[in-house]
Amino acid sequence: MSRRRTIALFRRVAQEIRRDRPSLALLFIAPIVLTGLLTFILREGETPPVNAVVVNLAGTPGTVYTSALTAALEEEGATVATAPDQAAAEQMIADGDATVAIVLPASLGTEGQVEITVVTSGLDPAGEGSQVVTVSRALVGAAATITGVTPPTVVHETVYGTPSTDPMANFAPPIIAFFAYFFVYILTGVSFLRERTGGTLERLMGTPVTRGEIVAGYTLGFGLFAAIQVAILMTWVLGSIEIPAIGPLPEVSIGLGIDVGGNPALAYLVVILAAMGSVSLGIFLSTFARTELQVIQFIPIVIVPQFLLSGVLFPVATLPEILQPLSYLMPLAYAVDGLRQVFVAGADLSVTALQVDLLALSLFAVFFAVIASRTIRREVA
Amino acid sequence: MPMDAPPAGASPPAIRAVGLVKTFGTIRAVDDVTFDLVPGRIYGLLGPNGSGKTTLIRLLTGLARATSGTAEVLGSRMPSRELLGRIGYMTQSDGVYPTLSVGENARFFASMYGVTADGAVEEALRIVDLADRRASITGTLSGGQRRRLSLACAIVHQPPVIFLDEPTVGVDPLLRVQFWGYFRSLAQGGATIVVSSHVMDEADRCDELLFVRAGRVIARGSGGDLRQRAGTASLEDAFVRFAGEAVAPGDPAPGSGAGGAR
Repeated sequence: MSRRRTIALFRRVAQEIRRDRPSLALLFIAPIVLTGLLTFILREGETPPVNAVVVNLAGTPGTVYTSALTAALEEEGATVATAPDQAAAEQMIADGDATVAIVLPASLGTEGQVEITVVTSGLDPAGEGSQVVTVSRALVGAAATITGVTPPTVVHETVYGTPSTDPMANFAPPIIAFFAYFFVYILTGVSFLRERTGGTLERLMGTPVTRGEIVAGYTLGFGLFAAIQVAILMTWVLGSIEIPAIGPLPEVSIGLGIDVGGNPALAYLVVILAAMGSVSLGIFLSTFARTELQVIQFIPIVIVPQFLLSGVLFPVATLPEILQPLSYLMPLAYAVDGLRQVFVAGADLSVTALQVDLLALSLFAVFFAVIASRTIRREVA
Repeated sequence: MPMDAPPAGASPPAIRAVGLVKTFGTIRAVDDVTFDLVPGRIYGLLGPNGSGKTTLIRLLTGLARATSGTAEVLGSRMPSRELLGRIGYMTQSDGVYPTLSVGENARFFASMYGVTADGAVEEALRIVDLADRRASITGTLSGGQRRRLSLACAIVHQPPVIFLDEPTVGVDPLLRVQFWGYFRSLAQGGATIVVSSHVMDEADRCDELLFVRAGRVIARGSGGDLRQRAGTASLEDAFVRFAGEAVAPGDPAPGSGAGGAR
């Protein structure tokens, strides 16, 4: 492999990207805007108010319980109304006057197990789940008030760090890995497709260049920009600069300020390895595309399954058993896990799980580089 | 098939094809082509679009692998990666990077060929009259200027063997004259030049013509020689005449395949 040619290729790729303003914006600005938006949604998201309606079918014991329950619910910030029967309560939910109905059965106050029915609309499972949790807490609290038996409180501790109330702490690693992987794939795929369709690859193959040099030059070129992208993104995600209020301007903080357990340099290594695999994947897949639109059309085939199966949204352990082995085939899964190891668990290089992730990402990068170079033939149609 | 022998007593061939065949599925794009081309001459591959000229060039440059037969350049059997450094290939499409400047394109291809001297790049740009545009972004050039840059990138390493696939398409008449003058000076310097074209009026600038039709070389000789043998006044008519002779029973009527040969 000629170093001079590889460097010339690297310089050319870098020059091309540098002059391509929209792609630079995609690489550097889009991830920052999107992670910022996601953080804002997750941290500052509104919890819909609990508007409870209580149906007392239990007579006098129910009245005592209802007032205890009302007090407990109001303590949780809920509003409480009453309805004569379940049908009327359901109508209130249907009309939007209530979000949750609590039906106290006639058996309340008698011996044995009591079943209290909680009714929601069924339109928003996740949101209603949190309503039911609030209601359950109030029901237990109300029972405790009446019986005088204080229920135990649950204290949550974690092995790694303190239990964070910041929803982004666990979300940031997969998002960083995903952006690096995704944007590098799109840019390399489109860029190499232009090389194929623009006649420059044909001309390039008419020179003594080797395909290994081409893949290496591309990997260095896009690798450089991926490295800058990830550096900016990680600074943005991990850093936090407080700017005090100046005159009429309110105090603002720049950066998401997410706590990280481990060494950011290790996290950086994980993402760079993933991005290098992504460069070769883009080169490889550009073989099967005729137009730039088709490179985009590969996203549902190549990127979305990785998004679903790599623990970005759903932890791999929660996937259906039959799908779990597939995640072992996803480079992104190792990047996500590696970043979580570093960010959340504070892993260093002595941790086996992180070693496995780094090894897998390196193997994927080599594997994709090999199959990418196989697609660059002197016999290009 | 009328096929002239190479000129006797000349130097060893720079380019040699022996029984070259290239098939794509059932199509024989290059069909049993045999010839020797000697240094210092300009050869014209003439034929309609789709007659197999580009495929033939790609076989000779080693960009495509022959189904059977052999191609040799400067005594080495193609494909040979090492030899590519001694071959110049101007592709039919411009094949230059639109976001790079003129100078950056030329320098890039120079380094692909292993040329590091800045003088070579300057010389190539001077030849195509783009030296004062070296800082211009290629995408902003006119079509003719891009074609000139494409030529500069193909000859930046001063190769002894040059393939030019339709080099004058989209080039204005004045520049075309300049191009041919330059090709002639290269040939006088000892280079072997193969120019493909479907434009017959350029053909007389070549030392020798090879009429290509349906993947076969159907006639070879100088322009005057071919006209005389065909008994026609124009090369176009000569082509039609040779094409008619070459038609085997069951093929389309004579001349119908030469519609693109203006």
